[in-house]
Amino acid sequence: MVDRGNKNKKLEVRIGGLKLKNPVMTASGTAGYGAELAEFFDLSKLGAIVLKGISLVPWQGNPAPRITETRCGMINSIGLQNVGLDAFLREKLPFARQWDVPVIANILGTSATEYTRLASALEDAGVEGIELNVSCPNVKEGGIAFGLNLKSFAGLIRAVRKKVKNPVLIVKLSPGAPSIEEFSRAAEAEGADAISLINSIPAMAIDVNTRRPLIKNVIGGLSGPAIKPIAVRMVYQASKSVKTIPIIGMGGIITGEDAVEFMLAGATAVAVGTATFMDPMAALKVVEGIGSWMERQGIKSASHITGAMLSDIRRK
Amino acid sequence: MGFFAADGPLPEANPGQFFMLGVKNCGDDPLLKRPFCYFRKRGNTLEILYRIVGKMTSIMKGLRPGDEVEILGPLGNVYPVEEVFFECKKTEKTEKTKKTKNPLVIAGGTGIASVYPLLEGLPGRAFLFYGGRSKKDVLLSRELRAVSKKFIPATDDGSLGFKGTSVDAARDFLNGRAPDDFVLYACGPNGMLKAASALGVQGYIASEEKMACGIGVCLGCAVRTKDGYKRACKDGPVFKTGELLFD
Repeated sequence: MVDRGNKNKKLEVRIGGLKLKNPVMTASGTAGYGAELAEFFDLSKLGAIVLKGISLVPWQGNPAPRITETRCGMINSIGLQNVGLDAFLREKLPFARQWDVPVIANILGTSATEYTRLASALEDAGVEGIELNVSCPNVKEGGIAFGLNLKSFAGLIRAVRKKVKNPVLIVKLSPGAPSIEEFSRAAEAEGADAISLINSIPAMAIDVNTRRPLIKNVIGGLSGPAIKPIAVRMVYQASKSVKTIPIIGMGGIITGEDAVEFMLAGATAVAVGTATFMDPMAALKVVEGIGSWMERQGIKSASHITGAMLSDIRRK
Repeated sequence: MGFFAADGPLPEANPGQFFMLGVKNCGDDPLLKRPFCYFRKRGNTLEILYRIVGKMTSIMKGLRPGDEVEILGPLGNVYPVEEVFFECKKTEKTEKTKKTKNPLVIAGGTGIASVYPLLEGLPGRAFLFYGGRSKKDVLLSRELRAVSKKFIPATDDGSLGFKGTSVDAARDFLNGRAPDDFVLYACGPNGMLKAASALGVQGYIASEEKMACGIGVCLGCAVRTKDGYKRACKDGPVFKTGELLFD
């Protein structure tokens, strides 16, 4: 085969049946339904866009204040505010699909039936991927019960897999899962095409001067660079536990080198979340950063980075 | 409070809009940019007005000429001025009455930064009510007097102007006047906005909320409206009176 030296080809990775131009996605809940980020850059330059989670009916979200910054991170309790399935299919999805980039919908529900109804409707609408959110820390009806109980977790994936043939099925793990290894194995065994992790980590912060919590719901989810080492560890554990399915790693990725770290730990692709809040162009910069790291290291294909951590520590 | 000036090629901003401002080389702490109202432009210099309240503003105070900052914007919507500039048509029954309204501007704290460019754009037109706790909290008196038709400062301790809040001063002024002759522009803390909305003057209020992204993707700056939560950054920061719900 002739190597055309196409930089894009070098960055290509696969998630199940999906071919991504590069390993970088938006993290659900940090890119809306695509419209806002599209004002800043061409979304087709990403590997995929993962949209804000949707439920069968609209959810209004949590009362304000919903966010607070902590050292090297932020806590949010948005509460999965979303437009609901009907408005999503009518208004949001057609808009998101206008770019030459796979669209992954993130879904959440209070019962397996809700998840399967959402998944079927989205398959009919032609989305390329479905991410099961079983890990939102901010809404008790937001699927976290599925994310923490192995039996209901496995049952949910089985039920959705039965309904859905075409879209790539991704399961987003909770960092609070009792065992990342067991949950990863269960996801694969029940037919998931990929695992994504981590969602934000339950956390809280108090204003000591007023003695009041800094967000209305008291407890929210911590994200940003503060959680990155935990996320890398969990990606490593997940990738060691599955047989063949790919891992999508996320948690505090800001630079290309952050992304590479996740990939060395075993991720095939990565998602950029909080960094997009710091800079709308963040995900694009991560794509470029991975490219320049590969150039420096003389690596020919992004897929070669996955799991390529050298396990022996070399001392000087 | 202090001034902060940034040079560079800057896009045109309009009254009501804001910028996200970040400092460099801070090792992810602070992590996110912070929103600041568009205050004014002098030559090729963007000026913002801020109060030192936390880590970011403390760092900003320590910046030296030549230090680099990151600025995203202008973002958000603007104060509409149609009622002030153009003839406003009323179509009740078949009768059409044409009327130009007087801007009634109320500001509290750093909210003055948000309405300042509005005042500059409506020179000699606005009735301005702006206050603070004490005389020393009322900034820019000379400039404000120059750009307003009438500037009534208000202080809690009565050390300058009206004794009471800026909304109290406005209410006092409106006594015996027809609210319909005015269009409200208000920016300040939520308590002030709530009181200003209750004056009975239709118009616009700008909310000041904590934000993470400033571009409408994080949904962190949600404000409660009669149509559910909206984003202060993208659907606002300027809202019509009666649209926002206050606790």
